[in-house]
Amino acid sequence: MRHVFTGSKKISKNSNSNNNNNSTNQEQSSIAIEQNLNNNLQNIKTMLGNPSDLIVRETTVTASNRNCAIVYISGLTNADLVNNNILKAVQSSNVQSGNGQSNNDQSENAQSNNNQSGNTQAGNGQSNNDQSENAQSENAQSSNTQSNNSQLEKVGTNKDQSNKGNSNENQQNNSQSNTNLIDLIFTEVIAITDCKKVTTLNDVSLSILSGNAVFILDGEKTILSMETAGGEKRSIQEPVSEAVIRGPRAGFIESIDTNISLIRKSLKDPNLRFDVHEIGRRSKQKLAVCYVAGIVNQDILDEVNRRLKTIDIDFAPDSGFVEQWIEDSFLSPFPQILDTERPDHVTYNVLQGNVGILVDGSPFALITPVIFGDALLSIEDYNQRWLIGSMLRLLRLLAAFIAVFLPAIYVALVSYHPGMIPTQLVFSIAATREGVPFPSIVEALLMAVTFEILQEAGIRLPKVIGQTIGIVGGIVIGDVAVSAGIVGPAMVIVTSLTAIASFTIPHYSMAVGVRVIRFALLLAAAVLGLYGIILVFIMLAVHVVNLKSMGVPHSAPFAPYFLGALKNIFIRAPITTLTKRPPYLEPEDIKKINDGGRRSK
Amino acid sequence: MKPTQIHGFISDRDIMIAVTSNIIGVPTLMYPRLIAQDTSAADGWLAIVLGGSMACILAWILAKITSSFPNQNFLSFASYLLSKPVSVVIAVLFLLQFIVLTSYNVREITVIAHQYLFDRTPIEVISLSFLLVVIYAVSGSRAGIFRLNIIFFPITIWGLLILILLPLGLTKLENLLPIFQTDFQGYLRASYSSFNAFLGFGIVLFYISIVKEPKKTPKMTVLGVLIAVLLYLLLFMICIGTFGNATTANLFFPSFELSKTVELPGGFFERFDSILFVIWTIAIFTTALMSFDIVIMIIMMLFKKAKKLNIIFVLSPIIFILSMLPKDYIELIEVGKYLGMYMFSLVFFVTVLLGIAYKMKGGNQS
Repeated sequence: MRHVFTGSKKISKNSNSNNNNNSTNQEQSSIAIEQNLNNNLQNIKTMLGNPSDLIVRETTVTASNRNCAIVYISGLTNADLVNNNILKAVQSSNVQSGNGQSNNDQSENAQSNNNQSGNTQAGNGQSNNDQSENAQSENAQSSNTQSNNSQLEKVGTNKDQSNKGNSNENQQNNSQSNTNLIDLIFTEVIAITDCKKVTTLNDVSLSILSGNAVFILDGEKTILSMETAGGEKRSIQEPVSEAVIRGPRAGFIESIDTNISLIRKSLKDPNLRFDVHEIGRRSKQKLAVCYVAGIVNQDILDEVNRRLKTIDIDFAPDSGFVEQWIEDSFLSPFPQILDTERPDHVTYNVLQGNVGILVDGSPFALITPVIFGDALLSIEDYNQRWLIGSMLRLLRLLAAFIAVFLPAIYVALVSYHPGMIPTQLVFSIAATREGVPFPSIVEALLMAVTFEILQEAGIRLPKVIGQTIGIVGGIVIGDVAVSAGIVGPAMVIVTSLTAIASFTIPHYSMAVGVRVIRFALLLAAAVLGLYGIILVFIMLAVHVVNLKSMGVPHSAPFAPYFLGALKNIFIRAPITTLTKRPPYLEPEDIKKINDGGRRSK
Repeated sequence: MKPTQIHGFISDRDIMIAVTSNIIGVPTLMYPRLIAQDTSAADGWLAIVLGGSMACILAWILAKITSSFPNQNFLSFASYLLSKPVSVVIAVLFLLQFIVLTSYNVREITVIAHQYLFDRTPIEVISLSFLLVVIYAVSGSRAGIFRLNIIFFPITIWGLLILILLPLGLTKLENLLPIFQTDFQGYLRASYSSFNAFLGFGIVLFYISIVKEPKKTPKMTVLGVLIAVLLYLLLFMICIGTFGNATTANLFFPSFELSKTVELPGGFFERFDSILFVIWTIAIFTTALMSFDIVIMIIMMLFKKAKKLNIIFVLSPIIFILSMLPKDYIELIEVGKYLGMYMFSLVFFVTVLLGIAYKMKGGNQS
């Protein structure tokens, strides 16, 4: 529980500091909300450049006969909500202003200080306090308001008459005497749960642009912002980049709220937390750091949050921007933060003690800190039986080895060390390469580059034409290149085997890194043969041991060495034996399940 | 989040692995020859055991003394035990040793690659590329070096075990006989060579200062030496059993030749030595890496303000030039012999000196 409390404190601190940062960043924050409705509307329109999709609906609060307006942007907002729960509610409400005596007192005071904002702000502050107090004791509040209402209705008739008499000429007076009306509307009328008061024009514009509807009451410096965000969004579909045979079919979409709900649905733990940041100077995207308090290591979490706070960009089209901003080494070909489209992947890793990061507008969640081996694991391994899962992991390791080393080894053997290949094989390779005019490195580069081009072209093309690429690549280049005597058939085998092997790497970001390394190895093999390959291998090892992901060594659990964690890297040990969370993440609660679930039987 | 400060980030087990990785290297390649030269048949095992136990004792003394000054570097505890000038002199002697050792390792791997992989590539290219990789590794963190050791350790050990186990079918018992025909002189010389091969434990003098809790470190150091002794013993027996004493004594790199005798059944690789070449490179790499790292460590000890990268920039050309100095392999062998003598006397001398001072001062009283 201690952790829970500190966590919540931290969150509130974070949000405060965020707000401060924003307000200092922006010059427009100086524009205050005026009391006059028309001025406010004009300010908003000017601020947004008078867009055609800005809907401004002016109406009156029927009972108290005050002008008000509802403002929102059509495409971003759920119009039904606005019509039924705001507009209709406001128009048909019978709230009225003003507890007689106190109002009179207030109006006397206020009239003297009419143009001083300080007083009204203080008034707002008071009303806010009242609100929070009320919220804490709902029963008390409801009884209060009931009594208020009854009083209001009694006094109301008198008020109405007097107001009608000079409504036009003395709006300010009216407003002062009706200070409570906006609070009443806030608490009683608006039929939307997520509704908050904003006091700066800047917040108003942010609300409008986020798809909220705002309610402006004439003569009030407080504006209500109501969560009515709607608009079009993609339905939840099967993830494209991480297809599995067995496992949940749901994938993340572009809306962060949906993504958060996808994780929440699978984890009903009250300790599941989402720290919210805002990134993008102009885009104001929401970013959520997802973790389970009580499992995650606080140091890692603090480090992630610290790095996220340093992000200063206009707009993040994808979580890839965030990833590149906060990763440890930008020179590395290996991903230090994994991306995934799968909610179950994030859920699994969050429960292991990792931290998930969701970015609004991106269907890819980030997982950090990760180790080198994580990029070769698929979440599906856990869904298959352990023997199959283990076999698949070993197969994937082999495939990764082939994808990295095979072309380089071929080039090294053919051009430098033919003595190491069995004699028969040397002869058959030599025979097929007889007509080839190039040295093997040129041959290998030719094929490797061709393959890269094919792969890239296949991604860019529409699916219908994409098949053509397969035909062109597979038949024309593979077959004809050999029969034309440009490359040897052995090279075609090597290239295609490498290509297929590289597709087994479950994470695309890792597979891309492997492609880069493959070329480095090819060049090394061309210059120094087997020796060059070994040197590059050593360099890769040096690089990986020095690499860190959020301070966690990338080479864990090999080095630093955790024997117990290896059974979840090389193989996928039976689920009942995976009783601990990864020790290299130093989770606060290392035990995952007790006694492997055996004793309970 | 991990401790990145100078002190206390490796464990006892890291020391064990570092000691074993440091011992396995160039000597492993020639070891059977050196022993077989002075002994008859398989009598060398006695010399290996003698030399090995000698190494174990010295290693234990060194580790014991060093670990009783937890998180103090060599200069500070040696200054306490002996005196500041003496310890500085010793540090400089070690500095010279490790500089030469680094270049010696660079040159050795060059020779092996030149001899077995490509004979037309200029040796400068081979050694420079190797040295560059060492420089790249040494510029990283020190914790990274120990992680590297851990990653390479299973590769080296499994490679050696395969090298030992695969030719088992080729060994002939008559090669091992007759026993105990060697004279005393021969045993003595062989023991000296065998002890020389285990001198890699000297690194504990410098690396124990970064062990988090050096309680079990002496035990782990001895264990590290013992692993190497055991591997060497097996390797020697297999070499003698396969080649016979006379052939072993005349083969340049008997261990390497051993891998050539093996044919992998139905293998894609005609020769097993290509796979083992990976292991030799890695083994020599770790030795060269740790030597270079200790050089940097000593310099940073002596000159507190020196920057790591500057040291590397200054040292790298020196090491490269040193490694190019021997004209041919005969000269390199001479260098190796003198280097061995130097290392032997230094370690022996320092151990005795520190041991006496430690006894006289009655341990770590500070």
